[in-house]
Amino acid sequence: MTGSLFAVTKRWFKEFVSAWDRFWFSPRYPHVLAVLRIATGLMLLYSHLVLATELTSFLGDHAWINNTTAAQLHDGAFGSSDMGQSYLWHISNPLLLWVHHALTILITGAFAAGLLTRITAPAAWFLQLMYLHRLTGSLFGLDQIITYMAMYLMLTPCGSCLSIDAWLRRTFANQCLTNRKLDWLLPEIRPTVAANLGSRLLQVHLCVIYLFGGLAKARGELWWDGTATWFAAANFEYQSMDMTWLGSYPRIFSAITHITLFWEVFYAGLVWPKLSRPIILGMAFAVHGGIAVCLGMITFGMMMIVANMVFIEPKWLVRTTRDTDAPTPQLKAEPKVQSTFHRREQDRREQEIESAKESLRVREEKLRERVAKLKKRERKVRRAVARLKPSNRNNPDPNTDTDAEDDL
Amino acid sequence: MTTNFGKKPYLRWVITVGLIFHLLAVIVPPLAFQTRGPLGSSPSVEALITPVRDYSQFLYLDRGYAFFAPDPGPSHLIQAAISDDVGNMTERMIPSLDDQWPRLLYHRHFMLSEFLHEIYEPPGPPPELARIDPIAAHRWEQGRARYEFVRQSIVDHLAHENPGNRVVIRRLEHVLPGFIEMANNPIELDDPRLYRVLRDQSLIPGDVTESAATLPEAIPAPRHTEPDNSNQADQNIEADQSSQAETQPGDPVQ
Repeated sequence: MTGSLFAVTKRWFKEFVSAWDRFWFSPRYPHVLAVLRIATGLMLLYSHLVLATELTSFLGDHAWINNTTAAQLHDGAFGSSDMGQSYLWHISNPLLLWVHHALTILITGAFAAGLLTRITAPAAWFLQLMYLHRLTGSLFGLDQIITYMAMYLMLTPCGSCLSIDAWLRRTFANQCLTNRKLDWLLPEIRPTVAANLGSRLLQVHLCVIYLFGGLAKARGELWWDGTATWFAAANFEYQSMDMTWLGSYPRIFSAITHITLFWEVFYAGLVWPKLSRPIILGMAFAVHGGIAVCLGMITFGMMMIVANMVFIEPKWLVRTTRDTDAPTPQLKAEPKVQSTFHRREQDRREQEIESAKESLRVREEKLRERVAKLKKRERKVRRAVARLKPSNRNNPDPNTDTDAEDDL
Repeated sequence: MTTNFGKKPYLRWVITVGLIFHLLAVIVPPLAFQTRGPLGSSPSVEALITPVRDYSQFLYLDRGYAFFAPDPGPSHLIQAAISDDVGNMTERMIPSLDDQWPRLLYHRHFMLSEFLHEIYEPPGPPPELARIDPIAAHRWEQGRARYEFVRQSIVDHLAHENPGNRVVIRRLEHVLPGFIEMANNPIELDDPRLYRVLRDQSLIPGDVTESAATLPEAIPAPRHTEPDNSNQADQNIEADQSSQAETQPGDPVQ
């Protein structure tokens, strides 16, 4: 008995480790991440440009929240201190602030365009983080989501396609194959674990955001009595479109309220199965689209829709971008370059074959399980049919009766 | 298919440990936010968050994600009156779509006025509290100081934008109409009747602190508005003046 329990536990643990490995350490193509990089970079750039229109109102000694107060909000002067620290608390000189901001805009623009992404992605993220810790009091959901996206994207080779880096890689293909530093700086398009890790982390983080967003709503009364959507629509400061006509249709706004609550709470569970994923992502598009159009938060709504794109399989985009971004072989290149190129090409193909084999193996295993289940069910049905035959009715077998009850 | 990490198989375990730590930092802060009650944080969640607190704070992961939650509530605004030596006064509302464009800039100002409301702490604490629960009294003092410093910073900013002028601000609440009232008595969402002045008033009856006493009404209510005519006291505002600050930024706060 103990041995059997041990064996079952061991098998479960082995399966768990295997599933963990598959989830986090399977290589993934970077195409979806490249799309996310462009959207995140452009939104970061827009945010910095908008801040530039009133830079000294938000940074420096004469800002809405001046440097001293901003530092005190974090350094423990008003209670507990925290690690949300920024060097921007100490910059008072407007010229220096402008130079810093111009540099931030340049780096963020380079990140969006995919120029030296290995360097500009972490730099853009770090600068954004410093602005966040300085702008306490004037932040909202947009700042959270773009910072998280930049954080996860910098872990990945998101600049390997749809970028200036990809063009540079094609131009200097030979040098990239012989120079390791250049090869790292201008990564080639291939499935990598780093791309998968970044994607998975963003996916899990989105699930956490929606789960706790939903649970927080579930603590309110208005999300249960169905009026929350009305009160969101009736908020003058948020609205960008007059939605007060909704008040005449309580069934509609209450339905929207209930659907939103349940969608948010169950997002974390239903976004993973392929069957329910399109519905969940479609609802994400509708909810965030509604927030963008009606509640005046077009930037936030758009970025949440973009963030949800991380659940799209990269293979959908691979075909469309492969022809333009794939490095072309240099037929007249020197032998060392040719051999490196062919070795990598072979590695890539082997990876693809392994990946196809793995998915076939998983599918075969599922089919085998299904067949076993069907056979089991068939046996039960046969037994039930045998019991129901007139000859058996007169002489019922007590064991068969129990089985019949189970079947029912 | 998973990667075998070539010559560095230990890398898989290093990454796994890092992943678990990061996932803890992602999941526990919103959990701590939700499990906080009148007695403080849940002890088990507090134990979980301790090792990742600094990390999550630095990476801005210490959020609750409570968008429009638990219930969508009224908006909170800042109304400023800027008057010159002659007595000419201009009113300014923060946020305002007329002054702030594009929408993202407006939203930053909106969040600022919401932040001032969120950190509001009434004047206090009462002397009895300091005797009964000195820790709670100290926390109250710190909360109040935080509010006063942020408020003063906003006043200073407006004074800097309008040199030589006197600046006074107060908080307003923009109440949301219910859909039944809206159906029975249709009203514009920016109708003056929906604005309410939030006074900076001590919770202790008869307490005459500097803030509770305030100056006479310095800003009229929003144009064409008298939110509660029956109670003139409601029109008294928290008088925050550039020339009359209870505390000055830079003063040490205990």
